[in-house]
Amino acid sequence: MRRETQKWYDKPVSKLILITIALSWMFPYIGFLISSFRPGESVKRSSWWISLTNGDLFKELTLENYYEILFAENLSRSFFNSFAVSIPSTIIPITIAAFAAYAFAFIDFRGKEIAFIFVVGMMIIPLQMSLIPLLKLMKGGAILFGVTIIPELSLNGTFVAVWFAHTGFGLPLATFLLRDFMMSLPKSVVESAKIDGASHLTTFFKLVLPLSVAGIAAFATFQFLWVYNDFLVANVFMGIKPENLVVTSHVAQLTVGNYGEEWHLRTSGAVISMIVPLIVFFSLQRYFVRGLIGGSVKG
Amino acid sequence: MNKNNSTLGDRLLIVGIRFLALGIFPLIWFLFQAILFRELTEILNRTSLIIVAIIFGSTFIFLLYLGMNKLIDFAPKHHRESLYAGMFIGPALFMLSLFLFYPSIRTIYLSFRDRYGDSSVGFDNYIWAFSDTEMKTTLRNQVLWLIFVVTLVVLLGLIISWLADRLNRGEAFFKSIIFMPMAISAVGSSAIFKLIYAYRPPPSTQIGIINGLRVSSGKDINGKECGNNEIGANGELIDYYREGCPNPVGWLQQRDLSNLPSFENINSSDTLLNFLVNFPINTFLLMIVMVWMSTGFAMVVFSAAIKAVPSEIIEAGQIDGASEGKIFMSIILPYIKSTIIVVSTYITVSVLKAFDIVYVTTRGDLETNLLAVKMLDEFAKYRQYGRSATVAVLIFVCVIPVIVINAVRAREQTQI
Repeated sequence: MRRETQKWYDKPVSKLILITIALSWMFPYIGFLISSFRPGESVKRSSWWISLTNGDLFKELTLENYYEILFAENLSRSFFNSFAVSIPSTIIPITIAAFAAYAFAFIDFRGKEIAFIFVVGMMIIPLQMSLIPLLKLMKGGAILFGVTIIPELSLNGTFVAVWFAHTGFGLPLATFLLRDFMMSLPKSVVESAKIDGASHLTTFFKLVLPLSVAGIAAFATFQFLWVYNDFLVANVFMGIKPENLVVTSHVAQLTVGNYGEEWHLRTSGAVISMIVPLIVFFSLQRYFVRGLIGGSVKG
Repeated sequence: MNKNNSTLGDRLLIVGIRFLALGIFPLIWFLFQAILFRELTEILNRTSLIIVAIIFGSTFIFLLYLGMNKLIDFAPKHHRESLYAGMFIGPALFMLSLFLFYPSIRTIYLSFRDRYGDSSVGFDNYIWAFSDTEMKTTLRNQVLWLIFVVTLVVLLGLIISWLADRLNRGEAFFKSIIFMPMAISAVGSSAIFKLIYAYRPPPSTQIGIINGLRVSSGKDINGKECGNNEIGANGELIDYYREGCPNPVGWLQQRDLSNLPSFENINSSDTLLNFLVNFPINTFLLMIVMVWMSTGFAMVVFSAAIKAVPSEIIEAGQIDGASEGKIFMSIILPYIKSTIIVVSTYITVSVLKAFDIVYVTTRGDLETNLLAVKMLDEFAKYRQYGRSATVAVLIFVCVIPVIVINAVRAREQTQI
């Protein structure tokens, strides 16, 4: 108890408000989860709340929908595609950002200020700004003032395109956060390593990286969930060929497309798509929140 | 220092290595990885491709640094420090320039070009953006989203975090319930709410709870109960496809209220009803999804800020006999003002970029469109690259002041 006297907020009425809010936040999941365990025919025939109240639900519970969506509808393939997209899309920007952050924090060089302003300035760019030209660049290359910088690559529909797109979008924030984190490390540690004759690469791998694990974990959790949950970038760069779908675009297709009445597949598919984020969220909640709060400055 | 003694050949070597290590090598590395994986995509089957992608996609990046490191080893020792700086920072600048800076400049350039980017059209695209009927609706929706979503999320976040802060037990559990929608994808959340709003033409069973409760709430003209195709006590089927029973409403198809019973026959003299009838109900229902998703974020950040308010100040207020509401309004609120601004900024930016919810539920039809969806539509559906770029620039222009305000405030605070 914070205070001795009983205030209004200790009274049942405020608890009631909180419980109402919590229940109304939980409510949307309930019908959805229930429908994912009901046969497709029943979902159409009777509503989930009536089947819940008259007990029909418990007689008809089934995992059939999950088998169907995972194997017949091939959501399992999209599921693995999602990992092939999100794991490198998390590691590549973090690696590049960690190197850059080290330089910003511990190496003195000419143009440091300008380089840092450039990196931070990129944070205000919403991804919509670079989406389409980036897609063109991955497809047909880039020509600047008549000089071919990037030849025709036709990368659309490959994992590489999505990795690099996410690298570009995640890099400014990652560099900014990791630099902040590394600046808070004791400078003397790095300097003593330098006196001992360690190269920058050794100092980076043996000393600074292990010390920055907390900062890296925070951003990694944030970036992984962001990429895994992303639909726009995957949709634009991977396309809608069945073998290229990731979980979100697959669920989006189920929800938006010609599956008008297939609610048993929509629900089970979406439930599967939520399992990974929820596991990550509940096991790494602390890091996730930290990464998210850090991410609030991004454009 | 040795620098002054370095010969011309020495210098040339440095410049050469710098050029090779920091300019050419990252480019070659990028092209190599891109082409390698493109070819692998065609050769390998899915399973091995996914395994290769996860393992090599994640480690290929280290080749870049190790290769640069090898190249730098050829340089004379006393020049290596600046080369190392370049090696550590170069790839970041390279990627940002190629994947973010160059495309953004290109977008701005394209926004002044015609549909395929072939010839200049001056400000035509911008004139279109503010005169086209569809664009006007899109802009209206974007403004409505900004006003209502940001206000609702901040208000709810404040109320919930303040109330939850006073819980003796279960605060963490309560907060994770509110926060959970933040972790799942917007696509998943939209699917969840699409079920709630679901509409099926009569006489099929209504599976969305709003329509389900609606159709089973009334009585038909003979005074018999209506039902959502449920089995009654005597084993008979109770439907709602009779005269007098309420009709189900396609909530996401309602661009205004004119199809709802109380608005069906409005008097032209009733100004309030005439004003309300234009209420874009489907847009508001979609906003609820966003509010449901984002309130958790606001709550967590506010909660941390409220806990940081020194208890002495609050106690001083209590001794002076201030009521709880007064303490909240005149002590806690001013104390967490900067946090409120940060959260509003974040929500504003995420509303400006909101894409998934509208795309998955209504596909932007029926006057529910938002800028981010419109931008992709112009590109993929109408093949109007110039207009698509213009919409992207509009989003960018709206984001800039928000971020700048935030950055200026952050700087002021660090100075204090």
